[in-house]
Amino acid sequence: MKTNEAMKVLAAHRGEAVVVCALGTAANEWWAVTRSEDSFYMHGAMGFAASFALGLAVTIPDTPVWVLNSDGSLSMNLGCLLTEAGQQPNNLKHFVVDNQCYQTVSNMPMVNQDGADYAAIARGAGINRAITIDNPLELDRRMPEINAAPGPYFIRLRVDAEPEYQRPPPFNYEGPEMKYRFGRAMERKLGVKVFGPTGF
Amino acid sequence: MNVRQREGSLQVLQTVDINEQIHAQLVKAGVRLAATLPDDWLNGLIRRVAGDNDMRHIPVAREAEAIAICAGAFFGGVRSAAIIGNTGLLTCTGEMATLCLRHAIPVFCVVSERGSIDDHMIYQEVQGRRTIPLLQAYDFPYRIIDSPDEIETIPDAYEWHRLQKRPFVLFLTKKLLGLRKKS
Repeated sequence: MKTNEAMKVLAAHRGEAVVVCALGTAANEWWAVTRSEDSFYMHGAMGFAASFALGLAVTIPDTPVWVLNSDGSLSMNLGCLLTEAGQQPNNLKHFVVDNQCYQTVSNMPMVNQDGADYAAIARGAGINRAITIDNPLELDRRMPEINAAPGPYFIRLRVDAEPEYQRPPPFNYEGPEMKYRFGRAMERKLGVKVFGPTGF
Repeated sequence: MNVRQREGSLQVLQTVDINEQIHAQLVKAGVRLAATLPDDWLNGLIRRVAGDNDMRHIPVAREAEAIAICAGAFFGGVRSAAIIGNTGLLTCTGEMATLCLRHAIPVFCVVSERGSIDDHMIYQEVQGRRTIPLLQAYDFPYRIIDSPDEIETIPDAYEWHRLQKRPFVLFLTKKLLGLRKKS
């Protein structure tokens, strides 16, 4: 399965989900497919998109929240699985794009390449619903059940590493603009008040 | 009311009112979510927020998670605080910079002022010397709360940190928390 194929399937099943993307491949590919502003494309803190998504998910419990994580990012913060399991957020789905390499830094191999089963790690951390999917048809078939099931739900998307260094163009805004576009999108979408009356 | 209790390696002459007051001022500031990782100076406060049914308590495995959780909660329109020790604060300055400073997201940190002149734990000495210069290098504002009458400034500090749009550290001192070395 290509990362781009997986993202297209996810986008087709997204519904009302708010999406948080780990920096790098996950963020760039999601932007390439959706161009969505009610997604947060993290530009730093590698490993902590999952924690960010958890903090968001528990504050908007009636809205589905997806985190599009990656193998490199997850490996930097495996403890997030314990924290997630401890909270058992019903509305959180945790996808991990597992291409076994650091795609956006010249395709360098992942630590313990091909030797880790992240779904098994998630189950071991206490996330009972944790699966691996490696083709787009299967992903498409499983998504209704994944959407309907209570979270936390961990889905390892085993994708192919691209044969050559490849980086889809990243989103074309960043930093504070990301904050305000996403925050305003949350205000419009959810009716929450992210910013005060004078804008901060 | 004063009570004695054992708290790790510390004999705690705990003024129960202090943690109660800090908790009450956090609530007054609008805080409804606390992400925490234990530090023996802060455990009384952490127990208080954990027992508050109106405050979401998220125990974390690493302090940088607390920073990111609070950043995420910001976009859900919920005010939050990361309650962590000074050592943990040092471990997550990279995430504070590349997530919070990078995206101008305010995060309110309540931190034990470990390594202070009255903290004689050898493994805290570097934190005592280097934390504040490091915060200054990043231009992360901070405030040290050393006496009970300063606790009521917490809501102002919270509003001010929102204006600053970056991580803010509220240090709680050993004296404030009513702790002394185990005899």
